[in-house]
Amino acid sequence: MSWLLTILVFLPTVGALAVMVAPKGAVRWVAAGFTALTFVLSLWSYFGPVFHMGFIGPLNNPSGFGDVAHPAWLDAAPWINIDVGSLHLNIQYRLGADGLSIFMLILNALLSFLAVIGSWNVTLRTREYMALLLILETGVMGVFCAFDLYLFWLLWEVELIPMFLLIAIWGGKRREYAAWKFVIYTIFGSAFMLGGIILTYFSLGNQTGTYSATFDYLAAHHVAGNFAVGGLAISAQLLIFLLLYLGFAIKLPMIPFHTWLPDAHTEAPTAVSVLLAGVLLKMGAYGLIRICIDFAPEGAHQFALPLAVLGAINILYGAGCSLVQSDMKKVIAYSSVSHMGFVILGVAAAVGPGATNMAFKEAALTGAALQMFSHGAITGMLFFCVGVLYDKAHIREIDVFGGLQARMPRLTWIYTFAAMASLGLPGLSGFVAEYLIYTSSYAIYPAQTIVAASAMILTAAYLLWMLKRAFYGPLNPRWSAIPDASWLEMAPLLMLGVVVVFVGVYPGFLLNLLQPSLHNIMQTVGGTVSAVHP
Amino acid sequence: MLGQTDLWLLSPEIAMTGLALLVVVLDFFVKRKAIISIVSIAGLAVPAACATWIAVTDNRTITGFYGMLRVDNYALFFDFLFILIGAGTVLASYDYVRLYMKNAGEFYALMLFALVGAMLMASTGELITIYIALELTSFPLYVMAGMLRNSVPGDPGSASRSSEAGIKYVLLGAMSSAILLYGMALLYGTTGSTDLGEIARALTSIGKGPDSLVLLLAEVFIFAGFGFKISAVPFHMWAPDIYQGAPTPGTLFFSVASKTAGFAALIRVFVDGGLFSASSFYLWGLIGVAAVLSMTLGNVVAIAQTDIKRMMAYSSIAQAGYILVGFTALAFNPSSASASTNSAMLVFLAVYVISNIGAFAGIIALANATGGERVRDFDGLVRRSPALALGMSLCLLSLAGIPPFAGAISKIFIFITAWQGGGFLPFIVIIALLNSVISLVYYAGVVYRIFVAPPPREDRLRVSPALTAAMTLSVIGILAATVFFQPLLLAGKMGALDLFGFLTLASK
Repeated sequence: MSWLLTILVFLPTVGALAVMVAPKGAVRWVAAGFTALTFVLSLWSYFGPVFHMGFIGPLNNPSGFGDVAHPAWLDAAPWINIDVGSLHLNIQYRLGADGLSIFMLILNALLSFLAVIGSWNVTLRTREYMALLLILETGVMGVFCAFDLYLFWLLWEVELIPMFLLIAIWGGKRREYAAWKFVIYTIFGSAFMLGGIILTYFSLGNQTGTYSATFDYLAAHHVAGNFAVGGLAISAQLLIFLLLYLGFAIKLPMIPFHTWLPDAHTEAPTAVSVLLAGVLLKMGAYGLIRICIDFAPEGAHQFALPLAVLGAINILYGAGCSLVQSDMKKVIAYSSVSHMGFVILGVAAAVGPGATNMAFKEAALTGAALQMFSHGAITGMLFFCVGVLYDKAHIREIDVFGGLQARMPRLTWIYTFAAMASLGLPGLSGFVAEYLIYTSSYAIYPAQTIVAASAMILTAAYLLWMLKRAFYGPLNPRWSAIPDASWLEMAPLLMLGVVVVFVGVYPGFLLNLLQPSLHNIMQTVGGTVSAVHP
Repeated sequence: MLGQTDLWLLSPEIAMTGLALLVVVLDFFVKRKAIISIVSIAGLAVPAACATWIAVTDNRTITGFYGMLRVDNYALFFDFLFILIGAGTVLASYDYVRLYMKNAGEFYALMLFALVGAMLMASTGELITIYIALELTSFPLYVMAGMLRNSVPGDPGSASRSSEAGIKYVLLGAMSSAILLYGMALLYGTTGSTDLGEIARALTSIGKGPDSLVLLLAEVFIFAGFGFKISAVPFHMWAPDIYQGAPTPGTLFFSVASKTAGFAALIRVFVDGGLFSASSFYLWGLIGVAAVLSMTLGNVVAIAQTDIKRMMAYSSIAQAGYILVGFTALAFNPSSASASTNSAMLVFLAVYVISNIGAFAGIIALANATGGERVRDFDGLVRRSPALALGMSLCLLSLAGIPPFAGAISKIFIFITAWQGGGFLPFIVIIALLNSVISLVYYAGVVYRIFVAPPPREDRLRVSPALTAAMTLSVIGILAATVFFQPLLLAGKMGALDLFGFLTLASK
């Protein structure tokens, strides 16, 4: 037991309690202190193994940060283990982190820290706001390192109430509607997810005789056979995949379950939008990669074609919707829908047909995982930019602005940078992820990839058009006195900008981190595919 | 021959009765009502010690009084639960009773007498004793419902509503126990015994013969009689009016003690009496319908309530529905494998009791400070009393089954075990899961009001030490039950296995 992950998960909760009792003037500093400490510890989850294995070790060592069966970090303790009659219930307190987890842990810690910095100007009920942000961080941390399926589900729900309150109290005009919509969509998804978890656990236990929901066990053993549902036989794995995926699809969000996202994004306060886009959507993507395709590879394989089509629709539809929005935040919200479609397309390609092109498939999955990280950083930047602008102008309608670059050179510069990263400019992180997905998914699903790639034009169109209308051209005299972004506001933007450039220039850093655990998943998937298509 | 062992087995109930009598007597001589409360709560240590003594004795006899008394682990599990309920009720009611009710001693004495009945209901294996214990539980409750003689300031109708609640409770309670008694009579007529073990043996030898219609009628009547106690649809009509009208500490006590005692006896009669093994198809179908209706009606109607006590009434109806899902599974598959379902029900009840005490402590605290018992009185509570708001929200979220609190784990546990039963049970579980989603609307609705809505006044609410203690105990209980879920499960398992162990003995 290493304790690191336990500390990472619960340190923000301790921080929330500290915030609740801190003196009034110190609330922001306490929150910032705890998130900063969590961030430093999350970096240790990366650098600890690096130092341990010699600096160059894990970067070139194929098993560097391990996979789901041999994670670099593991905190495990028995929690609930009981046999009554025919029931064997075994839930472990099991936190683990391999490459796929570690980089999401770091992203979450970073964005939570930046969210606290970015919320420095929140004056309404600051104490509760900071406490809820910290509890949110606990929940998301827990999701990214839970290595037991039941524990995963329990921690999955932790974010629900803090997020609900953050939107409902500090949100915009239609905050109540948005908050309720968020909760109802999420809880519906997770009810189905729970069904999938229970089904997995018991059908697997009945088949193998060992009842366990730990990730390494579920990755090594898969449910076989069919279920009869209302007289129809359905492949057990397909049913499990669909039940689990419904929960993740709502979170991702996938069309047609995406309608909560634009509302939640638009109404949420800036820092909460950043976290929503940056890490909460990633919970869905992470679940898809870590759980759906690894624990039900055959089901995923059977659903690959619909998944690819839905991914392509997501990309195209999200981009199309972005184009016609007049609210700047809605543009970015729909661009999130569009960009998360890349994750779906990448995963679909990874589990798609063909047993010979495994290299392409692994690249597609790597691209999908990288897109999680890159979208988190880039969209975080975009939301921070809109937040800065909104704080000064109190309006987000694109057409109301015009020529702002004359008054706000700093913000214009960083906004343009973020937009360029978002539309996939080479040299920045978005390009690496999208390029990996396009080139490799073309080998599996050419038609869907072509459709998806055509959305690149739309992406460029809505981002550049938004920039042109808001920042360039003649200055609208209404904004002749608007101040530029302060350096406090610029700080989170610059930090994320550094991350975006670093990953864009040297993606090997993240790819090495991801490679062993994704390779392990692809071996599972590859085994299934070659069994289905010998 | 009766001997010391019999008295020893009965000692928790004897101690509880002694405590109740002591409180009655003290009430005559002691001016300071605080002393009565302190005696009531401290005195609970005696029955608790007796029960502990019995529990830690190895290889003990579990039957006494010629088989009428059956102090197995199942009974002890409920004994401890009832003592916990007593402690929670005294703490939560201390200020309310002092402020609004003139007769503190009577209130606590009645509560303790009801607890004696409740403990007996869980620990007897004989129909007549069960019936008497049930009446011993019910009569104090009738009085407690009507005890608010002077209206609460700010709510002039409360005294008349309380009297109305008392009358309604007596009338409906009398009717339900008549139905129960009729069911028991039919069962006696079929089997020729009132001892549950004898009944189980007789039913095994009779088989599902021509008598099965009479048997079905008996089972339905008994279920209806207990269904009133546990407020399951369609025997729930009393709950909203009486929950709303009764003094709030009384409501707290009904919502946990009456329901827990009802379930304790219901499960005991149906399992120990072997009624499930002998019953035909219809019974589990009927119970399943009752479960589905309880959950759905409870949750849907709770959404529309404006009075928090009425809302909690419908919430408790829905919670009874979740437990009945487990009971349906027992009815469907009455083999010893169902010990898992039974232990899930016990654990669920324990978590429900802890959470509900906390939620009602919050309601009482708010009512004491502001006089308001409407849902909208919770608006902006977090601004007026952050600690109360946090505790109340935690309890409500645990009741709603929001992870990661104990309420969620116990709910999942009961659903999983029911799902395992096969047949139509998965569909009932799916309905239950959807109901959990619906229930979020009103539980989270209150949380939403607490945190989001603007407070009517910007004052700080003062919460008394006793209520703070009740709330703190609940919150600690919920968190402890979350982290240490395993010991709770083991306790439930031991209780469940005892019950089913007896079943297998009886059928030999």
